[in-house]
Amino acid sequence: MEFSLTEEQEFFKKTVTDTIDRMVVPKAREIDEKDEFPWELWRQFGKLGYLGLRYPEEVGGMNADPVTAMIFYEQIARGSVGFAQSVIMNILMGTYFIYRFGSDEIKARCLYPAIKGEKIGTMCFTEDQSGSDLSATRTTAVKEGGEWVINGTKMWITNGPIADMATVLATTDPKLGAKGLNFFLVEKGTPGFSAGQVLDKLGCRGTVTGELVFDNVRLPQENLLGEEVNKGTEYLGEILDEVRVMTGAMALGIAQAAFDEGLEYARKRVAFGKSIGSYQLIRAKFADMATDMEASRLMIYYSAWRIKEKLSSRKEAAMTKMFATETCLKVVDEVTRIWGANGFAREYDPQRHFRDARFLLYGGGTHEIIKDFLGRMIIGKS
Amino acid sequence: MNIVVLAKHVPDAEALIEIKGTGEKLEIEQKFAVSLFDEFALEEALKIRERLGGRVKVITLGTGKAIEVLRTGIAMGADEALLLDHEAFLGGDGYATALSLSRAIAKEACDIVLCGKQAVDDDRGEVGPMVAQFLGLPHVGSVVKVDIAEGRAMAESLVEDGRVIFEVPLPAILTTQKGLNEPRVPLVTGVMKAMKAQIPRATPEDLGLDPNQIGLAGSKVRIRRYLPPKKRSQVQFIAGDAPGAAAEAVRILIDVERVI
Repeated sequence: MEFSLTEEQEFFKKTVTDTIDRMVVPKAREIDEKDEFPWELWRQFGKLGYLGLRYPEEVGGMNADPVTAMIFYEQIARGSVGFAQSVIMNILMGTYFIYRFGSDEIKARCLYPAIKGEKIGTMCFTEDQSGSDLSATRTTAVKEGGEWVINGTKMWITNGPIADMATVLATTDPKLGAKGLNFFLVEKGTPGFSAGQVLDKLGCRGTVTGELVFDNVRLPQENLLGEEVNKGTEYLGEILDEVRVMTGAMALGIAQAAFDEGLEYARKRVAFGKSIGSYQLIRAKFADMATDMEASRLMIYYSAWRIKEKLSSRKEAAMTKMFATETCLKVVDEVTRIWGANGFAREYDPQRHFRDARFLLYGGGTHEIIKDFLGRMIIGKS
Repeated sequence: MNIVVLAKHVPDAEALIEIKGTGEKLEIEQKFAVSLFDEFALEEALKIRERLGGRVKVITLGTGKAIEVLRTGIAMGADEALLLDHEAFLGGDGYATALSLSRAIAKEACDIVLCGKQAVDDDRGEVGPMVAQFLGLPHVGSVVKVDIAEGRAMAESLVEDGRVIFEVPLPAILTTQKGLNEPRVPLVTGVMKAMKAQIPRATPEDLGLDPNQIGLAGSKVRIRRYLPPKKRSQVQFIAGDAPGAAAEAVRILIDVERVI
């Protein structure tokens, strides 16, 4: 067994950490407070090349393996999860099906500019009445002549209101449930496609999240992102595990940012003549946090390695997402306690991490659904 | 224009450093970085190459993670790198280190050598000038501006209350100071290139050096003991309005601390 990163991955981790420390960390509080998309930072990341992280070099990407990608996801979330969400949506979900199934013209129009940061992509699953239960999708795709006609409304769409293109989940027949799902590419400017409500969120501020409306949006056949009709669930399976492990990596990034704040505070803050870090109850918190974070990190790397090796990873990815996110929630809570009343003050960062961590509960599947899935997998269907 | 950059692998500014035993040894947390002043040297080398063409070569001395300094150099845009990789190179003072580095530089002709004015870990500022001495080259220290033209370098150095502009013939050694430039963030293409780069290594034998001349064995200066800095007394906050708090601060300084 081999548990260490390669020398190359170690170097990547260090370089990315330095880049995030220089470029993102100093802007994190401003991104959160203004709750505006950081366009300048986005353009800088496009120029640096990180937006093509997981795609082949010939299309302008870096060809990063899943472990290396997770290192990046963790680090950028450590810097600012508000910014990280937008970047990762563009790197992974917002472009994957365009890369996988898009025609050369579509790739030239959508994928390559997204890799350079000239366009922004998103993926639309969630609706007002469905989220983790994708089989309840009500957005419809009906074939009329040679075109697809899309109708429906999507909600909670990361990058949605500012996106140049959206990969949209729609059903050819709601009665088919998960067997009727498909992905369609809808580009900004297509008649009937518009942005609706922008959501005012508790955390992950800076990411523009909101509603997208599809009102008789007519698409050519090539905008069906898939080789066959009604294979959307199968295609989604190609990246579901990666998305879940990525969510865990983001959780670990937030946890690490909070942990570092807590550590600095525990070393400096004095109570009864000694640093609070010298008291056993505070030390115990760090022991527990560090243990859970280390376990999360190992699960993330292990799951990513399984994905890289093309081994089954559905169980491991689900466990990783849930464990790393729950760890993150514990860590951000403990750090606000370590900071005492200052942990409740808007002028310091622990409260930001506390708010941000909540959002990861839902992306990649709620933990209630993941537990049900894992339980069924372990015990068997009855 | 062939440019050599000497870069050192130093503990990260946030790494925990503890004095062990009776003070002979340091225990350093495994977090490292390129010495800040060497980053300025690297950036300047890349800028000179962008203006005048040529190649940039980064050299470092060390084992283990020291190679990351060279990968960082390649990620930023350096063309080649060389690692002086042997236990015999380690633990040296400025003299022994400069001797090893000067031999490595001398393997190929170069026009400029750039390095930080000092390493941020030991702050001794010896290696640059000593390399100049070993190679018989002119040296300008604490450089904040460089212009190269017609085989000469115009280099501005900071001095107290002002600057001095020096002119030196090339080849020369310039040691770099904060204010010279803003080191670039590496592009992903550079990071990829650095991740895959095969870094050439040199041993003392490759450089024609006897192990007794270099590293700890060849050092003329020995560290006898490390001492921790004096602990600062606790900060005291004085409540109240500004005039009242100032008066109280003066009273404490006179009556309690007895420093004025």
